[in-house]
Amino acid sequence: MPKYIPNAKRYKYPLPIHPLDQLPELIPHNPVSWIHWLYCYLSSTNSLPAKIHVEFSSGKHITIADPKEMLYLWQNGFFGTAQLSRSEPTWKQRTLTRLGLEESSTALEHVTEKRRLQRLEFKRERAGFEAIKLNLRCQGVAETEILRQEREFLKSLREREVVQLKESEDVQLRSSDIELFNDDNQLMELEVLELMPVEAIFLTFALPVLDMSPMTLVRSLLGDNPSYNNIHDLCIMYVAYHHYRSHGWCVRSGIKFGCHYLLYKRGPPFQHAEYGIMVLNSDDSFDYTWYSSAARVVGGAKKSFILCYIELQKPKDEILRLWQNGQFAAVFSSYKVGEILYRRWVPGKNRD
Amino acid sequence: MISASGEQDEESFIPSTLLDSDDDADELSRDWSHIAKLCKSQVVVPKRGEKDYEPDGTDAQEMLLYRAKKAMFDSLSDAARGAVVKNLIKAYYVPELHRGFVSHPKGSFMHTMGRVDRDGVCWLTFHEFVYLAERGTISPYFKRADRQDHELDPPMSIQDLYLLFKSPQECDDFLIYAHLKRLGFIVMNTPEATLAVGEPSSKLRPRTTQTLSSLAKEALQFLRIPTYHPLQFHLTRYTTSGQIYEALNKLVPFYAATKTSQSTSYEECNKSEVVKYPKFTFDVWKPRGSFKKKTPGLPDFQILILNKNSSDYKFPTYSEMKLIFANLSYDAEELTGASKNGKPTEGLSGSKKDKRFAKQVPPHIEQQRRLKKGYRSFVLAVMDDGLTSFVKITEADFGSENVWFKPSSQLPKARPKIARGKMSDASRRSNI
Repeated sequence: MPKYIPNAKRYKYPLPIHPLDQLPELIPHNPVSWIHWLYCYLSSTNSLPAKIHVEFSSGKHITIADPKEMLYLWQNGFFGTAQLSRSEPTWKQRTLTRLGLEESSTALEHVTEKRRLQRLEFKRERAGFEAIKLNLRCQGVAETEILRQEREFLKSLREREVVQLKESEDVQLRSSDIELFNDDNQLMELEVLELMPVEAIFLTFALPVLDMSPMTLVRSLLGDNPSYNNIHDLCIMYVAYHHYRSHGWCVRSGIKFGCHYLLYKRGPPFQHAEYGIMVLNSDDSFDYTWYSSAARVVGGAKKSFILCYIELQKPKDEILRLWQNGQFAAVFSSYKVGEILYRRWVPGKNRD
Repeated sequence: MISASGEQDEESFIPSTLLDSDDDADELSRDWSHIAKLCKSQVVVPKRGEKDYEPDGTDAQEMLLYRAKKAMFDSLSDAARGAVVKNLIKAYYVPELHRGFVSHPKGSFMHTMGRVDRDGVCWLTFHEFVYLAERGTISPYFKRADRQDHELDPPMSIQDLYLLFKSPQECDDFLIYAHLKRLGFIVMNTPEATLAVGEPSSKLRPRTTQTLSSLAKEALQFLRIPTYHPLQFHLTRYTTSGQIYEALNKLVPFYAATKTSQSTSYEECNKSEVVKYPKFTFDVWKPRGSFKKKTPGLPDFQILILNKNSSDYKFPTYSEMKLIFANLSYDAEELTGASKNGKPTEGLSGSKKDKRFAKQVPPHIEQQRRLKKGYRSFVLAVMDDGLTSFVKITEADFGSENVWFKPSSQLPKARPKIARGKMSDASRRSNI
């Protein structure tokens, strides 16, 4: 079992391009140290030793298959979502644990599973008690007495749960597990990391991390002769993504909460996302129900709802021309971002 | 009701206005059992509690519900009601002016409502008239145009008053007005004059700055090209992640929120003259004793009313919102000052406390509060068949804040500063 690495060290770098922070100390009164420093400064580089291999699998999925590269993208900026895990690629580790080939892991999926089992157990117990309660009520026992018994029951349940937590888990085997192994008796690498289109653009256009040029990437995304509307839809999503990424946010898909992006301050392992972003055209206006339902879903998860309006500042045909020439920096900088905080206002809470 | 306001006080210690208020606790449920205590029968009623999941065949749930309902009805039916004839204030509705007046005004409503003319007659807007009549503060009469004295003016019922609304829109406005009034807010019609703040004078200057800034932008763009060059990370060397972020974040331009009164002028002249934009209906102040009708000061909130089911209204687009922001009356100092404290400064003792807190707050928490709070804002009241919901639309500014994580080793300067702040605070305390 690998040793536990603290999060601050594991996720030290917020981007897959690392800064030069291994430079030796510069001692002002020691000229030798200057030369050494200068040598280190000139010989080192920010760019990656080898770019990460990316490919389009089954049409439009932008995937990365190498386990090391998957992990690298996750640990340096939380890019992509592993297809068989929640987001961090943990499938292999979890499978090995399940088959008893390795000691237990602390993957998030395990924690969730444990909690779900506990919840199920709690519900079963509660249903049992509800029956007892009903019986008491029918017999005409006073409500206060029922309440006392209920408290006692909940207390005993809590104590039992604590004991259960300490018990160990068993190895579970399925009949199909044999197919997971290749000829050398090694667990196959089934999992791939999938990138959102905007993430892939960011990792090719803004940071040269993937082994694909921005031009080939957008050609595969939109085809050779995209219409303006297609370009526009991709552009506003990318402009919003780049805007938040470049100001230091960790941006991940917000599909779980019915919005476009979620903003994490440092990353998912550190804290919950604080903002849900909805990307809109600056002249969009929908029915109020649309805003209110989206805000309810985001607000229900205790996040602030941001309407991120993207405004085009150049004529459409110029965008088309720049796009065809591959001048993406010019295209993206012709959109302007404006943000609106949408919050329910409760009069009673704003009175004093 | 008394207990409800007590809860309110407790809640306000948490900066709940900064959080997205969408938890269940925000609907302040009224516990009628407290009112029931005031009425004759003096029954003690249990609070309505949690529901069971499904009917269980016993009457325990029905009993709870019945008791709570009964408390509600009792409080309405048993309470001593009526008005003392001597205290009765007669108010007259003038159909030609679509307003009402009270010839001998008295009572505390004068504090926040009505306008007294030279003859000592208090003129009420129609909203105020209906609201006061609904509350029983005034008894409404219909002023007949053919007679000077009030002898034969017919009294009106609440139904009559509702018939006098000129348009569904006016009725919507009234419902929102009455709702906020009943909650204790001070509500006034937004004066027309403030909507068109002197634009013409500020027209020239901003345009020149605009061209200058666009020129500067062009120049920057020329310098910036290498940033997205494939060889960028071979040619340039970045020693911190911050530098990489800085190289990236110049690409996308953004609207920075207005933080001072100067920078508003630029926005105001952008389009304002011709474009039709939605107008505020009400200015709202939080309840306060020191309120003066003549010099109310800047409102705490400005309300824009939108009827969801009417065909002429739609949710404002971004450019409309910008126009609305530009026409807000607000205090520029409060924007920055309040964002520092996380709360608008209100009472004297409160603000002092806040300031002491603000000193101890590290910069990244302060930044967090700024982002959560936003800058200029207005309240959108959405009317849907008599149901009102309020939305606060606030300018946010993520573009001006950089949130990337700086390891503590890179911040050696920040620490002693905080320590010094604490020291001085402590020494001040010892002085006291």
